[in-house]
Amino acid sequence: MLKYILKRIIYLIPTIGMVAVMVFLLIHMIPGDPALVMLGNDATPQDVEALRDALGLNQPLYQQFFLWVGRVLTGDFGVSIHSKVPVLTSIADRFPVTLSLTTLALVFSLIVSIPSGVLAAVKHNTKSDYMFMLGTILGVSVPGFWLGLLCLLVFSVQLGWFPSTGFVAIWENFWEGLRYLLLPAVTLGLFMAAVVARMVRSSMLEVLRLEYVTHARAKGLSEWKVINKHALKNAFAPALTTIGIQYGMLLGGAVITETVFSLPGLGKYLVVAINMRDYPVVQGCILFIALVYVLINLVVDLLYGFFDPRIEYK
Amino acid sequence: MFLKRLLKNKIGLIGVIVIGLNIAVALAAPLLATHDPLTINLEAQAVPPSAQHWFGTDEYGRDIYSRVIYGSRISLYICLLSVVLATVGGVATGAAAGYFGGLVDNVIMRCMDALMSFPAILLAIAILAALGPNLYNVIIALGVVYVPRFARIVRSSVLSLKEKEFVEASRAMGNGNIYIIFRHILPNCTAPLIVQATASLAYAILAESSLGFLGLGAPPPAPSWGNILSDARNFMMENPMMTVFPGVAITLAVLGFNLLGDALRDVLDPRLK
Repeated sequence: MLKYILKRIIYLIPTIGMVAVMVFLLIHMIPGDPALVMLGNDATPQDVEALRDALGLNQPLYQQFFLWVGRVLTGDFGVSIHSKVPVLTSIADRFPVTLSLTTLALVFSLIVSIPSGVLAAVKHNTKSDYMFMLGTILGVSVPGFWLGLLCLLVFSVQLGWFPSTGFVAIWENFWEGLRYLLLPAVTLGLFMAAVVARMVRSSMLEVLRLEYVTHARAKGLSEWKVINKHALKNAFAPALTTIGIQYGMLLGGAVITETVFSLPGLGKYLVVAINMRDYPVVQGCILFIALVYVLINLVVDLLYGFFDPRIEYK
Repeated sequence: MFLKRLLKNKIGLIGVIVIGLNIAVALAAPLLATHDPLTINLEAQAVPPSAQHWFGTDEYGRDIYSRVIYGSRISLYICLLSVVLATVGGVATGAAAGYFGGLVDNVIMRCMDALMSFPAILLAIAILAALGPNLYNVIIALGVVYVPRFARIVRSSVLSLKEKEFVEASRAMGNGNIYIIFRHILPNCTAPLIVQATASLAYAILAESSLGFLGLGAPPPAPSWGNILSDARNFMMENPMMTVFPGVAITLAVLGFNLLGDALRDVLDPRLK
């Protein structure tokens, strides 16, 4: 098992290397002089030259890359051009907000998707199943940011159930923090809930047809036990991959949700940095989110064997 | 035969009708719009729906109904072109990786893995942050994001097809690699490609509107659905209906492609059901 984990981590190195190259090249894709673009047309030639020096843009590309990788490996993601604050410090301040949002969205989507997917499979080809299919197709079709705006309008502005501005961290005051995060988490998690529910339904349908399920029923086990103890565990393994991919996608979706709900997370920080052309921040945020995404996929791969013991750790 | 089976599928039929209506609205936009979508009218700023302005107006007094109608043109244009770009890129790279194997396969697929190491919308945001937001950069960004999905599908199809006897026979007849790929292999990959393209169109509409909402889509005053919603956000307290109509338009378009995608998957590749 430990050998397998080490092997998977080693396999990650080329992928992370390619990700690093792509994020590094981001700044070089900017049309024109990146330093001038960042500082704006009002900048003096001295300022532009100073920024070029600070970013190492005067050196050959390969040297720039290795210097940048060296700095990143020591935790130096650069410094914001506008606030002069180290990017990693800002990321560390904001990531907990994004993490709490995406985790709550994950919890919401699992609470909705697994029972509804199982129920739809058990009630296959009935009215409940058709309603479920309609619900999931609507879930993947409604834009999250639009749903967020509507929720803000109805539940915050009209009904006053949730705050429409401000933010309280969930780790400072759990219940108050939950009031600020619930609407964003529901709107962010809806797409994932719909995708996972469809996956759970189709996996359950496949498993429920297998002989061991018939055998479990023939033994006289209750339907509850057959479904929960025998069918769901095996049906969950394929759904787990979808959950992993979708949880990673939540990190991307959080960029939009945080903008809609004005949450002080990593996504909002990224959008503000893009608008201010603060490229060290953009580069740092994108690299950080991509690394977290890669790690999530690794964890999902490792968990897969737990839910499907037929998979051997080789 | 295929069309008959698709239209017999109720979900597919609804999808075809919804998409057909969307395309019809986009093509007939000048006939359906009641106002110029770009004309500013400072005497009618953020007014609610009325007989004159069916969906109301935005902060600059522009008619939202007309902007939503014209918005279908921009959104469909971006989505169609980005999916075409992704399909061409994905087919070329996937076919090369699968057919030639070895180093070519390794290099191409590691690049695809790297592209898939980013959440899709984040990669599009990163590309647009570098290139700057404009209509064609949005098409490029979304196209690049979806290339790996097509490449993986084509590669796996090519891997199994290249060992088949009809390919061996064609090779024995002295046909070149390019001829074999285009004449014998790619025509056999079309079913999963069509399914993927339809699903990608739905994702592309969602992604394009999200990018527009963030201010990274077609630059203002272009009436893309994401832009209209972004404008509406600042005035949603005064005129809540401003947010409703563009959102409904996006949902309907995405729903149409999702329904068609599901039906196509059932008709073309029942194993994926």
